Amino acid sequence: MSLAFAQPWALLLGLLAVIPLFKRGQPTLAYSSLARLPEDPLSLWIDWSLRVLASLGLLLLALGIAEPYLREQWVEKIGTGAHIVLVVDRSSSMNENFSGTYLGGTAHETKSVLAAKLLAEFVDRRGQDFFAVVAFSAAPIYVLPLTQDHEAVRSAVLALGGRGHGITNIAPGLAMALAHFSAQPVTGSRIVLLVSDGAARMEPETADALRQQFQDHQASLYWIYLRNPKGGKLAEAPKNPNESTTPEYYLHQYFQSLGVPYQAFEADNTLALQEAITKVETLENHPLKYRQKLPRQDMSGICYGAALVCLLALLAGQILEVNT
Amino acid sequence: MNLAVNLSWRFWSLLSAVILLAICLTHPTLPLKRPVFRYLFVIDITQSMNASDYHQAGLPADRLGFVKASIRQALDKLPCGSEVGLGLFTTRNSQVLFEPIEVCGHFPLIADVLDHIDWRMAWAADSHIARGVYTALRETAARGGDTRLVFFSDGQQFPPEPDFPPFDGKPGAISGLLVGVGGSLPVPIPRLDKENRPLGFWEYVDLRDYLPLSAMPKDGSSLYLSRLDEQALTRLSATTGLGYLRLETPESLTRALLARNLTTERIVAVDIRWMLASLALLLLLQRFQPQRVT
Repeated sequence: MSLAFAQPWALLLGLLAVIPLFKRGQPTLAYSSLARLPEDPLSLWIDWSLRVLASLGLLLLALGIAEPYLREQWVEKIGTGAHIVLVVDRSSSMNENFSGTYLGGTAHETKSVLAAKLLAEFVDRRGQDFFAVVAFSAAPIYVLPLTQDHEAVRSAVLALGGRGHGITNIAPGLAMALAHFSAQPVTGSRIVLLVSDGAARMEPETADALRQQFQDHQASLYWIYLRNPKGGKLAEAPKNPNESTTPEYYLHQYFQSLGVPYQAFEADNTLALQEAITKVETLENHPLKYRQKLPRQDMSGICYGAALVCLLALLAGQILEVNT
Repeated sequence: MNLAVNLSWRFWSLLSAVILLAICLTHPTLPLKRPVFRYLFVIDITQSMNASDYHQAGLPADRLGFVKASIRQALDKLPCGSEVGLGLFTTRNSQVLFEPIEVCGHFPLIADVLDHIDWRMAWAADSHIARGVYTALRETAARGGDTRLVFFSDGQQFPPEPDFPPFDGKPGAISGLLVGVGGSLPVPIPRLDKENRPLGFWEYVDLRDYLPLSAMPKDGSSLYLSRLDEQALTRLSATTGLGYLRLETPESLTRALLARNLTTERIVAVDIRWMLASLALLLLLQRFQPQRVT
């Protein structure tokens, strides 16, 4: 817990608080023979408390104007708090709809637009999770690091709906996704959520390196495969197996061999895509301890409140003043 | 009598201070129109942007690095409430990384993403600059009329083409800036491997399959050189209606980005508690002003 000021210069106003200690806030009454009056401890006490009240009031006002706040702080919470890296395909085939028809530049039903919309809703529902975003086509693009800034995540996920370019090259995208975990302590589930409409051949060395990284980072993998309705299913072996014509079947086999929790969801229409995302959501709902960042908290309200109390007391004193 | 008037005046000023403070506790805000900016920064990440022709202490020498450092400085100076989105250009297209988001609240995140922008993110290697600007303009238009485009490029076309494709938009419909990056003297383009290790420089020999015969050197020079193609960029600026700025110092970019003609007005809820509290403070101080002896 640490305190800081948004307008520290205003603390200088606090110097004004010494004025009441030297000057009297009440009008003086002319009295002919002051020396004859006995010293009255009660009056002196009242005088000093009024001065202290005024001084305190000024000090608190200056403090309030300086806008003190508690810095962002981490608190431990019980919740889901998973670390989820969204790895989303932005290859040119994502500009098509599910039946494989190319839709023009401003189309609203492309696979990428649908995926972006549904993922944004997913992010909105997972308020406690951390998200990172990797977009990939021929090369992976670092879009966002792991963050709880959901507004930023939302803006990045929505931008994924834009037109995609280039071919599908999954392995580097996954490697970048896993790299997001390396700077983070293991605080909860680590999930790589891959959304793609295709697959590509992977070199054996790349495949081995990737398997090692998945195991090192203890990350689970979910693959939402946006399938062409006419295309083959992941679980069915193709009639004439060939890694260059049916790479998705081989990729599915490879993912099963990773040695980390893995599940594939095939979606060939909007509804199925929505169902797949909902399923991922229910799978990752184990509560666990995680840390959440609290935004900065404004403390000037307390200062103003306390100053108000001082001023009210002064006002009471004022009302009781002798009116000649 | 004089004293009685004085007294009531002191009473009212204290009472007003109390009322002002009571209002403060309700956290009042005023909706004020504030000039802010809404930018989409699109950065050329083709390989010529790896060429080094900046020589300024404490700043990266390569074009891409210099652009990133300049944008970072400018982000710091944009007024809160301004929004910034980032995009990349390579080949024929511009791709947006994230929609414009508020700059003060998300500064660390924007800076981190900016920091990670790299030539290796390119989905292909060609550089059709005019098409890149046109698609960036379309992306900007799709993000609302008050979004301004700032497009950073050295203007180098690869492979060279005789003329720009026609612009089918309305010139000046989207305002913004074309920012020319690089120097006027031709410099070699570093050739890097996937781990960013230097492999020397790009030579004509490596590119002969992509270059038309007319572009091959006749004087036997071997290095494929690159310089800021200001002629191409100013022509593009004229056809699209975007302003042109040559990036020479980060400060020049900041100044251009804060230009009045690029502002947009947003209604921002401004916290006015400090004004009320200052007034209360003055009213309280009134009590201690020198008094006339009556």
